[in-house]
Amino acid sequence: MTPSTTEIFDQVSELIAPFNQKSVPIKPETTFATDLELDSLSVMDMLAAIEDHFDVTVPLNILPDLETVGQVAEAIKDILDE
Amino acid sequence: MLEPTPTLDPGLPRRYADFKTLPEALDYAAQGLRGLNFYSARGELENSISYGQIRDRAHEIGKRLVHFGVKRHSRVALIAETNEDFVCYFLGCQYAGLLPVPLPLPTSFGGRDGYTEQLHEQMKSCKASVAISAAYMLPLLDEATHGLKMEFVGSPDTFEAQSSDADIKNVELPLVEPDDLAYLQYSSGSTRFPHGVAVTHRSLMSNCHGIGRIGMEVQDDDRAVSWLPFYHDMGLVGMLISPITCQVSIDYLATEAFARRPIQWLKLISKNRGTMCSGPTFGYEICARRANSTDLEGLDLSSWRVAGIGADMIRPNVLEIFAETFKDCGFDKRAFMPSYGLAECTLAVSFGPKSSGYQVDLVSEEVLSGDVKSVREHKINGNGANYREVVNCGKPLPEYELEIRDEHDDALVDREIGRVCVKGPSVMVGYYMDEEATRQCLSEDGWLDTGDIGYMANGSLFIIGRIKDLIIINGKNHWPHDIEWAVEKLPELRSGDSAAISIPGENDEEVPAILVQCRKRDEEDREDLENRIKMEVQAVIGKAPKVILVPPRSLPRTSSGKLSRVKARRQYLEGHLS
Repeated sequence: MTPSTTEIFDQVSELIAPFNQKSVPIKPETTFATDLELDSLSVMDMLAAIEDHFDVTVPLNILPDLETVGQVAEAIKDILDE
Repeated sequence: MLEPTPTLDPGLPRRYADFKTLPEALDYAAQGLRGLNFYSARGELENSISYGQIRDRAHEIGKRLVHFGVKRHSRVALIAETNEDFVCYFLGCQYAGLLPVPLPLPTSFGGRDGYTEQLHEQMKSCKASVAISAAYMLPLLDEATHGLKMEFVGSPDTFEAQSSDADIKNVELPLVEPDDLAYLQYSSGSTRFPHGVAVTHRSLMSNCHGIGRIGMEVQDDDRAVSWLPFYHDMGLVGMLISPITCQVSIDYLATEAFARRPIQWLKLISKNRGTMCSGPTFGYEICARRANSTDLEGLDLSSWRVAGIGADMIRPNVLEIFAETFKDCGFDKRAFMPSYGLAECTLAVSFGPKSSGYQVDLVSEEVLSGDVKSVREHKINGNGANYREVVNCGKPLPEYELEIRDEHDDALVDREIGRVCVKGPSVMVGYYMDEEATRQCLSEDGWLDTGDIGYMANGSLFIIGRIKDLIIINGKNHWPHDIEWAVEKLPELRSGDSAAISIPGENDEEVPAILVQCRKRDEEDREDLENRIKMEVQAVIGKAPKVILVPPRSLPRTSSGKLSRVKARRQYLEGHLS
């Protein structure tokens, strides 16, 4: 049984916490670049933490479509469901 | 269990790219045991393939390309993933007499439209007729090829299924000549108006000989470990083609894996006893930044003989931090080897001395600002703001004639500052199908104006910066990276976040300005950042600049990802950046 998108979202939010230096409230529509103010290298650092936690690899072709925390949670859900 | 290809191969005498063409070089390497090894993001060996196996597969792909009817010298766009398929298609094109064009991969979150547009413009500018990528990348590639006249767009599997084994049995491969073009390299020019550097086999072999024989001095027990992308000249020529032409085994970590877990690169070097491992300054920077004590445990970097540095302005303080971070892991900072090169010269122009680390000249403010035209004979032990450490990029390869020229195109003497011009077999024949851009930098008698400013001292080359980027205020020269590096030291900024330019003031005088990518939205935070930027710049140039905060990822880049200041300036003045 894979976790639900909501459960994944909650876990992703926790993993993002160390990168959320301004303690912006995390919602599905929170964006990495503008809301969390993350640069491209920090994003990859964070992605490594998320991948390690779920033991998945997010393929490159999905990256250009990931702008928000909710999109990342959904992408992880899709990969776990496969 | 999968085993990596060996470092040593006593059965095959070393040859240093003394071949006529890349196919001939691969045919020779194929007689030995060495080859390529691809590692996963977590450092497990996923695929190991000897040069013999690569040759066989590339041969087969070459025949399929010919059988498919792809005309000789056609451009074949390949999304350059770090894997066997890319390597075999790139080399398959060589056997078929076609021109592969490596295309970039996405590097971070977001930016879908910009990415597909970049691919589109590159394929359009060289009129590519075939485009191949892994199946999972096809939706993006389909979008990018929309509106282009293509004969085939698809994955390797689909392409190979276009012909049966019987179909290709009697296909003859063309004879490839040294003056045929081998591939196109997109790394200069802007993203919107790209132009591909056209590289012949002759240039390629000449440069690979210089890299292997003189630059690296490849030895029996050498092994390369690389994370550099194949769509960049340093990754393609430095870490794929030159090792093939000098029969070296290579271990690869994909660029996207390095970006996530840079320490994996060092772990691979440690595990496989890597000796030749190069990258731009920022690669060393992110390793040092991400290293924690658990990572360092058991890490042994004592085998690392040549830590090449290139592709961008070399920042000595970053190298110092790297050396300090990893000194207890056996990293010897004498391994650092600065180099200078550009895609227009295939890759390499000069290499620093081996086993002696990097050397710097302290160049005074008077020289950088243009008040004094030559660098003083003796270094002065200056400190802080009045000097910049300029790295010794070493001696030009023997194939080159090199001149430092003044504004009248006259050659200058030692320690006089001017434009770096080179001539030699590695210099490109031109930008592909772009005569105008070619004429601007390449003279009829074969001299390439690199666009870089520097000086020679005792036979070694020192690079100060790009001439187009020079900011002249009240007759004083200011180098943009001096300003940018100062600003990017602020904790909320990263390297590449700023572009220092000059803009016309009220009376048409030049005013210093700095465009800064800002991720902050809060007005107070932004104002605070602006003030601190002003102070940093003032400390460097003695004058407060106009600070313009721009959105993240809005500064224009060249197709190899370098900042394009000329374009940033134009966009700002046209009102497209604010």
